[in-house]
Amino acid sequence: MSDLNTTGVEGTVTIKPAPETPKLPPREWLKENLFSNKFNTLLTLFSAAILLMISRGLLSFIFNPERQWGSTSTNLRLMMTQAYPEEQYIRVWVSVAVIFTLVGASMAIWNAGSRVTLRRLGSFLLSSGVVIDILTLLAPFSGQAKIIWLIIGSAVSGAGGVLLRVSDKDKDISSLTLVVATLAAAILSLWIVPFGHHSFVFERTPRSMAETGTVALTTKLPWTIMVVIGILAYFLGKIVMNRFPSKNLRPTIIGIWFLTPPTLLYLVLRDPDFDMGHVLNTDIPIFLIFAIAGGALLSWFTRPTTGEIGRVCAALVLLAGFGMFFTPMRMIIRILMLLLATFALAAPTFAGDSKTRRRYVLAWLGVSGIITWLVTAVNTPSTIEVPGDFFLGGISLTLLVAIFTIVISFPIGILLALARTSKMPIFRILSTWFIEFVRGIPLITILIFFSIMVPLFLPKGMELSEVSAIVIGYSLFSAAYLAENVRGGLQSVTRGQHEAAEAVGMTTSQKTFFIVLPQALRVSIPPLVGHCIGVFKETSLLAIIGLFDILYIARNVIPNQTEFLGSTRENLLFVSLIYFFFAYQMSKASQRLERRVGLGER
Amino acid sequence: MPDTPTSTSAKVLSARPPLWRDAVVLKWVTQLFLLFIVLTSLWFLTSQAGDNLEARDIPSDFNFIERPVDIQLSEGIDTHPDSGGRALWVGMVNTIRISIVGIIFATMLGIMVGLARLSNNWLINRLGTMWVETLRNIPLLVQIIFYFSVLTVLPRLTLESGPINGWFHISNKGISMPRVFLADGFYQWLVVVLIGAVVGYYVHRHRTRLHNETGAITSPILWAFAVITLFAIVGIFIHPIFSWVGSIFGALASLFDSLTVLVPQIVLSGVALVGATTWVLRFIRKHRSAGGHLSLVDDDWFRIIFTIAVSVILVFVFISWEGLSSWILNSGRDLFQVIESKFNVDGAARPFDAMRPEIIQKGKFPNYGPSGLTMSVSFAAVFFGVVFYTSAFIGENVRGGILAVPKGQIEAARAVGLRQSQALRHVILPQAFRVILPPTGNQYLNLTKNTSLAIAVGYSDIVQVGTTVFNQTGKTLPVVGIWMLFYLSCSLTISVIVNWFNVRMQLVER
Repeated sequence: MSDLNTTGVEGTVTIKPAPETPKLPPREWLKENLFSNKFNTLLTLFSAAILLMISRGLLSFIFNPERQWGSTSTNLRLMMTQAYPEEQYIRVWVSVAVIFTLVGASMAIWNAGSRVTLRRLGSFLLSSGVVIDILTLLAPFSGQAKIIWLIIGSAVSGAGGVLLRVSDKDKDISSLTLVVATLAAAILSLWIVPFGHHSFVFERTPRSMAETGTVALTTKLPWTIMVVIGILAYFLGKIVMNRFPSKNLRPTIIGIWFLTPPTLLYLVLRDPDFDMGHVLNTDIPIFLIFAIAGGALLSWFTRPTTGEIGRVCAALVLLAGFGMFFTPMRMIIRILMLLLATFALAAPTFAGDSKTRRRYVLAWLGVSGIITWLVTAVNTPSTIEVPGDFFLGGISLTLLVAIFTIVISFPIGILLALARTSKMPIFRILSTWFIEFVRGIPLITILIFFSIMVPLFLPKGMELSEVSAIVIGYSLFSAAYLAENVRGGLQSVTRGQHEAAEAVGMTTSQKTFFIVLPQALRVSIPPLVGHCIGVFKETSLLAIIGLFDILYIARNVIPNQTEFLGSTRENLLFVSLIYFFFAYQMSKASQRLERRVGLGER
Repeated sequence: MPDTPTSTSAKVLSARPPLWRDAVVLKWVTQLFLLFIVLTSLWFLTSQAGDNLEARDIPSDFNFIERPVDIQLSEGIDTHPDSGGRALWVGMVNTIRISIVGIIFATMLGIMVGLARLSNNWLINRLGTMWVETLRNIPLLVQIIFYFSVLTVLPRLTLESGPINGWFHISNKGISMPRVFLADGFYQWLVVVLIGAVVGYYVHRHRTRLHNETGAITSPILWAFAVITLFAIVGIFIHPIFSWVGSIFGALASLFDSLTVLVPQIVLSGVALVGATTWVLRFIRKHRSAGGHLSLVDDDWFRIIFTIAVSVILVFVFISWEGLSSWILNSGRDLFQVIESKFNVDGAARPFDAMRPEIIQKGKFPNYGPSGLTMSVSFAAVFFGVVFYTSAFIGENVRGGILAVPKGQIEAARAVGLRQSQALRHVILPQAFRVILPPTGNQYLNLTKNTSLAIAVGYSDIVQVGTTVFNQTGKTLPVVGIWMLFYLSCSLTISVIVNWFNVRMQLVER
């Protein structure tokens, strides 16, 4: 950052913003940037020719009358949720509403959004208007269409020019306003354009038939409501922030974010068919026994005076947990036992006064309750019936697999990274071998292996759906890469931090969890976000195994519909647009986040 | 931790803690416990899988490697392999082929993209940015399938469109271009070029010395290149005089033929033992302090014991496994015999030759003949996919590496009077290369692994062939094992090569 001037004023350091580069008049700008010497001129002409050829080719492809863009706009519902039954669609809308609410509230609570100067907006509009005009001239339009588009382009650039001329230098608007305006425009298009719809018809074999205009009819109202809900949630969040400012606000929202995916998936979308009598007779008593006995045990373990008896008992609980995992019994008991063992092992780290202990026991009650409920919901059959193995498909399947993979691989990856940097040889060797092994083989072999082989590895009576098996395999794969990112962060924590933590008398686990890991994770935010983008992009590999993700639908399902035979290229362009949108937004967001936490400046 | 009374702290420090609080004991108990858990889980899972496979009557053995299979591959060195092993081998060759070609082209394109991103020219700069941002943010699989679907709608190949009068031909069967190949005289010509390289080396040394003594501009590299080129050109006409070189390889082949299995056994075991001993001795010497005191923590002991154990096991394997030694002997003999036969050609053979693409009637449909170099549609889709995708990442690496060279370095190079080209070669590029190489090596690994997406467009790489094999024979586990071994060895090879360059590039610090 050589252009940051630092000047000392009476011991304090102020950082002046970089001086703005003086704006060149267009003529000189062209000369400076495009035609500064012979070689540059040649390059400019060459690349301009390439650019013209590419845009001409793309435009004549897109606006060719043979293109069937109806294939994407008619199959929007198929691409979103595949064959989710239409009469149950209210469940999808509820899930979307929950997510919009959370997004709105989080944006308010984290003060998201920045200010955009009107000048920047003006110059953006100006240049995009010019681009529209140039593209119109290149496109194979008829005379009338060309004129209309030229007028639109000129209008946009004219508006930009006016904005540029009229507005002051410092006037700005919130970027959130712009986002809302864009969303509103998108929704308005639903009210105007009659997007079609393919619905599944169950006659002899399930197949899909096109119905024109239905998607716009049935979704324009829900989408409008969703956006309004999001905006309302934003203002609600603002009010809560101002009226009842609390330290617990952000942790609460983060907790809700973590709980949302499983809740939406298993309670709302999947609609489990609970057998209340069974639940009352078995699941709830098991949970109560574990909650009370485990709570008492943990409350005793966290007492500072318990000492090594507590540790020995914790080790015994751990042994029992592993032993029980391989003996046939109800899954819920195995899982709760393992969870209790983990909590018992971590107990000495959280030992302290009665308040700390109460919080630890409460955490145990909460986590075990949630896990019990989740396991019960997972084990309960669904009432949703769809053709195919899994009740979700399209983008919802992609997002589901991506989110679950990232969430599951996070703790595994951190543990692997800790083991790999540990001084204990067996931990280190096992972790290193695992990481290097997984990183050495392609994802597709792992996915094929898990989708075919997992049923063979399970004991009799245990079943796992294909999607769950794949999420497990994908999580292990992702954890190996994540571990390497976290390891980079761990190595960047200076030795002084370790020594300081030891000097104040922290145990190794306290040092790791309260001193080293927070700093390491903060440093590894950029690679971790990059990793998440990668996980999202590579969910497209599900198509190879034959799951109905968006790529599979675009390549193998839609081109087989009688109306849209051979529309693969159009669908693929649409799918790449969707992936590009999400991935690009995520990478931009990570750059903003990087600047915000001040990485690389300290 | 509860407070310890100060009066007893000295006592506590000097006394040995009880067993269950001893850090060393606890550490090892935990580790062994984890090892136990991992091994038990693995044993449990494999026994479970064994039971389940047996219940479904699918034995997991490797005999499909020798059994005949009914597989037709789209391309490769053998499109009708007679056994499962042969089919997998064809798949491996296909994977390696597309990886190597892909790495070469991705590197060239990536460097261009990186330089474009650094260019002062606004238009070029923006083009580079667009290239990187677009390709990075779209999944590779989507790109590959898109290229495939674009290529398959190209005009159909018909016999009427041939004979091809141009150099290139493109249709829905692929892209065909002239094939340049090594003809019979190549090996003799290679000997001439090698001699030229030796002469060039001495010329280079001489010119460098001249430069160092007189300070004149002697351009040693240019001279060396000129010498080698001269030899190469002359070699095209005179190479038949080197046909006698083949007899040297013949002698080597007969030497390998006469050796017994005992020789490789002794040599290999010796290498293993001597290697382990030197490693342990050096390790101990390194950990000895200046005063001669040796301090080894348990981790170090673990390494020493591990090394010794591995070397003993290796010796045992070498001696007990006679097949390995005889395989080494046989393949050495075969290799030298093959090289010998390469020199057995008549004098008029040319070192290189080229053939134009052609269209022939192959079965029902017309197709490209073997005389041209043909890229099938699936190969082209995977190739363009991985090359474009990887070039975006390599471009970013190149850009980052060049930006990472401090401005002061360039100014300092100017200040000591280096010319622009010298500054580039001796100051900027070595430093930039040090930053670029490690992440680019990672990209090479990724490219190799990404070629496995070929299964989506039907290019017969190892994953696609393997899937066909286990669908026919039901032997999923062995095939997956072969995949993993293959990809692991590919990754290992690439990282060894990249590391070798990396070590050579590292700053030598005191």
